[in-house]
Amino acid sequence: MTERKSPTAVLREGPRALSDEQVREIEDSALAEVLRVDIDDVIEYVHKDLKSLPDFTTLYRKYLKQRWDVYDLDFSQDKIDWHEKMTEAERESFIAIASGFHHGERQVEIELPVFMIGASEEEKLHIAAQIEDEARHTVFFDRFYREVVGLKGDSIMDILDASFPWVSETFVAPFGLLAYQADELRRNPYDERARVRYGTNYFLWIEGVLALSVMKVTLSYARWRGFLPAYYTGFTATCRDESRHVQGGMRYLQDAVRKDPAMISEIHDTLRTILSLSGVLSRRVAYQPLGWSDEEVRLLFYQQLRRKLNDVGIDIPPDIEERLQRIKPVLAGG
Amino acid sequence: MRPPDFFSKQWADSVRDALAAGPTAQTRAGKLQEYWDFFERIRSTYEASWALGCRDLPPQLSSGPAYLLVQWAGGTVSDCQIIGPDDPPPTSSAHGGLPPPVPPGPSPFKASYVLGMDYRDWKALHEGYDAQRTVMYRKILLEHGDLLEFFKGIYFFVECLAVIGTVPASYPEPPA
Repeated sequence: MTERKSPTAVLREGPRALSDEQVREIEDSALAEVLRVDIDDVIEYVHKDLKSLPDFTTLYRKYLKQRWDVYDLDFSQDKIDWHEKMTEAERESFIAIASGFHHGERQVEIELPVFMIGASEEEKLHIAAQIEDEARHTVFFDRFYREVVGLKGDSIMDILDASFPWVSETFVAPFGLLAYQADELRRNPYDERARVRYGTNYFLWIEGVLALSVMKVTLSYARWRGFLPAYYTGFTATCRDESRHVQGGMRYLQDAVRKDPAMISEIHDTLRTILSLSGVLSRRVAYQPLGWSDEEVRLLFYQQLRRKLNDVGIDIPPDIEERLQRIKPVLAGG
Repeated sequence: MRPPDFFSKQWADSVRDALAAGPTAQTRAGKLQEYWDFFERIRSTYEASWALGCRDLPPQLSSGPAYLLVQWAGGTVSDCQIIGPDDPPPTSSAHGGLPPPVPPGPSPFKASYVLGMDYRDWKALHEGYDAQRTVMYRKILLEHGDLLEFFKGIYFFVECLAVIGTVPASYPEPPA
């Protein structure tokens, strides 16, 4: 974490190729070495394989190599940074963004099991691994809020209750929808159309757009300022996990559309609902203390969605394209 | 004065008045104007109906599951009534979801969206549990109706659910 480039430095660079050495560093770093990995490289890495997506067994093997122990992180320096070095404005912005992730991780953990029922055997391995990842990410935020921010509680839900006041009212759009889509699958787990709608919200929107964008905002801030080393390490490792989730999710959607081209309408209809709710904010969050402007965050969201649609080969009609231009950030992820 | 019983006709009348009045000034002050503009835009064109069920009303209140039917038209509530256990259960008039079984006897009434919640969760909502989490934690569930269409109005629905939760009512303890 010696580099001090601006958080938004790569925003206007567009896609770039990673060297073999950079890919090796991302894929093979043990948890203690993740602090050296550049978050911009990890986000670029998410997109590296989108044009030729890996199969689910390959993703499962990567999981076995890359899983990390959330209890190995030492948050003592983060606590000093949080209370003694960060400004009040930085803390307020950071927590407003991180709380969406705290709750988002919990939501994607508990809503994923029903999707496994209708999956292929290979995909089941990948989803089982993903559920374990999401549980670990939930614990990561639980530890961060207890040990760094200082929230008190006996249980995981106590800490979720304590951070909920920072969660925006618009959080219910992607995560309420996911909860109801999971219930739809609970009732009929083999309904392929329902699975594609669920996958569009979960893998494309929540993980591929919201999560990666929010990760970049807080992690590039931490790297820029040289603060919160355990948060940077754990959340960058989380981002590496997300790369497998996004690649697996895009693989699922791509296969579903190749098998039945009519499925594209399910993706479009889901995006129409999501985007109809994404043009409104209920709270103003100041990104400036973290080195971002509102317009740069909006551009980041747009780029994240556009790249995935392009790379996976999902065409969108003009009405969705028009809605895309009006996206406003939901500060959440999972 | 004792408030009306939960899921009584008097309570439904109070719910109608509260929904017509909308969120309080205090609630509105806590969120951006653009959010309320969106809320008003949905409300002004909303023509759907909700059948909000309570699956397990205590025997003091009802002999079985009942629904609060809320019909929206012209930017306000055009109908708000209790559909009791002796009435045919609601069906969804929208496409999507699983079609409910058609019971014998008189024609069931139709609602765009049929939702269900347990008594304890209705009571928790009344005692201040957050309406957004009531949806997100699947305490209230969409049982029939088009999910993607329903969610286009989700901010409107959540704010209305919060309003319903504030309407005074008596919630008797169910027998042990």
